[in-house]
Amino acid sequence: MMYAGGVDVGSTQTKAVIVNERRELVGRSLIATGANVIQAAQEAFQAALDDGVVREHEVGCVIGTGYGRYKVTFGNAQVTEISCHARGAAQMFPGTKTVLDMGGQDTKAIRIRPDGEVVDFCMNDKCAAGTGRFLQAAAFALDIPLDDLGSTALRSQKPVKISTTCTVFAESEVLSWVAKGRHIEDILMGVHRSIAARSISLLTRVGIDAPVTFTGGVARNPAMVKVLNEQMDLAMNVSEESHFMGALGAALFALDRALAGAVQSPAAAQSAGRMPA
Amino acid sequence: MTVAPSSITSLAELAGRPLAEVLSGCRELLEDMDFPTVHAWKEKGGTVCGHFQVYFPEELAHAAGMLPVKVRGGPVEMRQADSHFGSYLCSVIRSSLELALGGKLPLDFFVTHPICDAARNLCGVWARNFAYPSRILYLPQNPNSASSAEWLRGEYARLLRELETVSGHKATDGDLRNSIAVYNENRRLIRALWAVKRDTPWLLGVDEAYALLAVGSLVRREEHNALLAAVLPLFASRTARKQDKVRVVFEGGFCEQPPLDLLGVVAQSCYVVDDDLLIGLRFLEKDVPAGPDPLASLAWTYIEGSGYSPVQHDLRKPKERMLLERVKGSGAGAVILAAAKMCEPGLDEQVAYSKALDEAGIPYFVTEFEERMSSFDQMQVQLETFVESILFD
Amino acid sequence: MGTPLADSTIVGRGGRDGARLIRDWFGTLAAAAERGDPSVYVFVMGSMAEILRAFDLPLVFPEINSLQTAVRRVSHEYLGAAEDYGYSPDICGYVKADVAMQLQGGKHPMGRIPKPALAVLTNACNTYMKWAEIWERMYKTPCFTLDVPGSRSAPQNGASTAADDENDRRYVEAQIRELILVCEKLTGRTLDLDKLATVLRHTNDMAASWKRVLELNRHRPSPYNALVDGTVYLGVLNALRGSALGAEYFRDLVEELEYKNAHDMGALADERARLLFVGVPCYPIFRRFHEIFADHGGTFVSSSYLWFAAGGLDLGFQYDLSRPLESLAEGVLKSVRHAGDSMLFPDRALLDAAELYEADGIVYHPVKSCRTVSTGLAGSRRAVMKERDIPCLFIESDMMDQRVVSEAQMKNRIDAFFEGLEARRLRLAGSAA
Repeated sequence: MMYAGGVDVGSTQTKAVIVNERRELVGRSLIATGANVIQAAQEAFQAALDDGVVREHEVGCVIGTGYGRYKVTFGNAQVTEISCHARGAAQMFPGTKTVLDMGGQDTKAIRIRPDGEVVDFCMNDKCAAGTGRFLQAAAFALDIPLDDLGSTALRSQKPVKISTTCTVFAESEVLSWVAKGRHIEDILMGVHRSIAARSISLLTRVGIDAPVTFTGGVARNPAMVKVLNEQMDLAMNVSEESHFMGALGAALFALDRALAGAVQSPAAAQSAGRMPA
Repeated sequence: MTVAPSSITSLAELAGRPLAEVLSGCRELLEDMDFPTVHAWKEKGGTVCGHFQVYFPEELAHAAGMLPVKVRGGPVEMRQADSHFGSYLCSVIRSSLELALGGKLPLDFFVTHPICDAARNLCGVWARNFAYPSRILYLPQNPNSASSAEWLRGEYARLLRELETVSGHKATDGDLRNSIAVYNENRRLIRALWAVKRDTPWLLGVDEAYALLAVGSLVRREEHNALLAAVLPLFASRTARKQDKVRVVFEGGFCEQPPLDLLGVVAQSCYVVDDDLLIGLRFLEKDVPAGPDPLASLAWTYIEGSGYSPVQHDLRKPKERMLLERVKGSGAGAVILAAAKMCEPGLDEQVAYSKALDEAGIPYFVTEFEERMSSFDQMQVQLETFVESILFD
Repeated sequence: MGTPLADSTIVGRGGRDGARLIRDWFGTLAAAAERGDPSVYVFVMGSMAEILRAFDLPLVFPEINSLQTAVRRVSHEYLGAAEDYGYSPDICGYVKADVAMQLQGGKHPMGRIPKPALAVLTNACNTYMKWAEIWERMYKTPCFTLDVPGSRSAPQNGASTAADDENDRRYVEAQIRELILVCEKLTGRTLDLDKLATVLRHTNDMAASWKRVLELNRHRPSPYNALVDGTVYLGVLNALRGSALGAEYFRDLVEELEYKNAHDMGALADERARLLFVGVPCYPIFRRFHEIFADHGGTFVSSSYLWFAAGGLDLGFQYDLSRPLESLAEGVLKSVRHAGDSMLFPDRALLDAAELYEADGIVYHPVKSCRTVSTGLAGSRRAVMKERDIPCLFIESDMMDQRVVSEAQMKNRIDAFFEGLEARRLRLAGSAA
């Protein structure tokens, strides 16, 4: 049995996935990236191997993706997270035509072909409004754990209209609504709606074609899912494994290469002293 | 802030009502992003000419039997327009497209002007999205050439031809003269209104004057003239006490419009005795003269009798000199130098204005605004501090 | 391969000579600055070099001065100085760099720029007018604005008739005559019609050559990179427009490119992706930008920049020397209008170019500073992709301000774009098999 690995190095979290030659996800791990990115990549990979009870020499190819993809020093190649999320979404939800990936730092809208080939993409990596960062700012301002944001927002009856477009000022707007006596859940729902509107703006640039698959850390937020579905009038595909989508895509690209036989296994590459920087 | 849709489809409905009702009715109509008066005109079989900022010779569209409507964006939620534009752009071009794409503003013809590099692109953006004609009207940026008036006359003739094709009505010289008379009257009435605001600002606040002015761009001007004529005498009998507010000129409202609430905030601590708000609707300062060739008269008046703006380049009218004249002419003691966010001409001019006001020893307050802003706390605090520093100098 | 001698003399000549000519030209400007000679500030879209050169007036291109500060990696200092003076971060970086230069007495990475005794501009760009107003205030510089009425709508919509065009041409001619009077007053000389004829002839040569230079890049492999090499060519095209040196340079360039094509010598050793570039180059990371594409085997075969920054010279308009002023007016009108079209209504031209140059993709590069070029690009991309199945990348940055240029983010998008191109290529090859 041949295996392949994908390591998605994000600024806050690193995810690793091992797939077998039947494209089944057999091992996964998620750790905090921390200060030492190279180490994080290695640790995540090892943890995924352990999770899948797979030995390193059985892995035919590893691909690094994400912001720190060039720090996956033991990997064979790098592929952008855009291509990887597209591939991962097509695997997890066959038939996907559009992918919305909302992470902590950026948001991407990707239009894809059935096999996961990227037709068009649009990224918002310039401005934190419209990304998970905006949620973090709100969570910080309201002193609520990030994981509780979604469920709290879902209790909203009369959402406020957030007008700030800048995450830096979001905090002060949130606090001013608190001062005006509005309920926390209404303020939070307003924040969610604001982020959703910006994401939809991004999606319209590539064209929204159902089915839409929602990936990235923020996809686990039930309020965000609800608001986006409402605003787009459709039901997005969401998975418990949303945050592994990029690593899965990377692993699938790695599997392609391993099966094509053109690849020296990472272990062999390392021992031969050929380590990509 | 959700605003209930206006029930007003014609300004005639406001005739004869008490002043307070007229003012709130105008404001209601202005804030109604469903543009009921425009839709009502369309339903009667009329055609609409949407013209972007700043100045447009509305007489042409009027003479061709169309309803000229000033397209000036608004505080609308972006759903479709954003994807047609990149980043680092003013809001007004995006919101204007949004209103058209969303069907709120049903046009049969769209004209933009090369007032700035972003606006020039609207013609192309519109053409990709709408089947009706979209055009650029080149107003001379070399009005100092001896040939510019003649050229502009030819340009007006060309545009008129196109408008007539859409409206189905060929404008006769009589039509043109009539339209010019209507608009001359309109400009006279607006000047009179602004004089009330200037001379007795406690009787007419800037936000009120603004509403009265702006609704004109949503209806046929005859209707607006009737309303203004009815309303002007009513101010004298308004009972309001003169307050100890600073007299200011508000400069920077020539294109993207500040929210009415922002003007309300300004009005709390200042008397805006003059401004450039929607200056395009009152850009000609002289009457268009009667004469054998109405188009030539209209073109001539633009060249020889128009106001000033950061988007107009005319060697005879250096902007900072014109601003100082405006300050002096209105008896203002300070200036609010506003600019819409990302507005290149506005932001450029702020520098020249600041330096000229420094030299003249006139205090000024620099600020940026966006048409969609809804929270003014920060600006209010800063403005009040500024006003206090003048009052307690 | 040609002969080693031909290879070494002809190949690369355009780059070498171009760099030398631009250096020399900046040298003449520095000398003029030292002597306090009067110079004329002009712009690439409608430089009116034909008239000004006939009066022997030295030309200064503030746009070129400004972009040089970015290429030489010092633009942030200039922008900072202008912003300290009061200019917003949100206005054109070219303007700010020039303001900083003026504030420091014309000091510039290539030497020194003389003060303007006259500024000549067209309405091809609204920022030109705000810019000239700055010199008016700083130095009381007389500014001459030439109205060149542009297209009233997308060119294929037929908004203007021949009579309208003649109305426009007449207006341009009248203004050119007014400009001539201004120059006569400034120099104390009358217009030398023989000199004008010579200048027009040289411009005709350059226009014909430029058109040919653009065509020659249709070859596979393409002999030059429209972005990197194109910028050098544009520098000479503008600075030496209407001069014998300029005409000679472009004749030589045509010869070099024809030679390269005859021997299949491409600009990129391994040309794997032929791309169109739309917008203004990313000068703050000029070399690096090119490298990121080149590493993927991507080269730029054409660019809208080579149209509008050439002042529309790519149209190849030929002045009729038997009626110089009438023809100059016609040429200025058509060329400047064409430059405007390539910025405001680029869709058709891009679709045609994609076909002519056999482009594999289009890279849209809107820049914060330039709203003329950038405002409509998102819409243009949508329209182009709707009409034709061609991959289009959209990367936003600036041509001057490195604060809004993020190399890492840009590389991420470019890498993803090439991954997509490769997957597409494999798919199309697979379905063809």
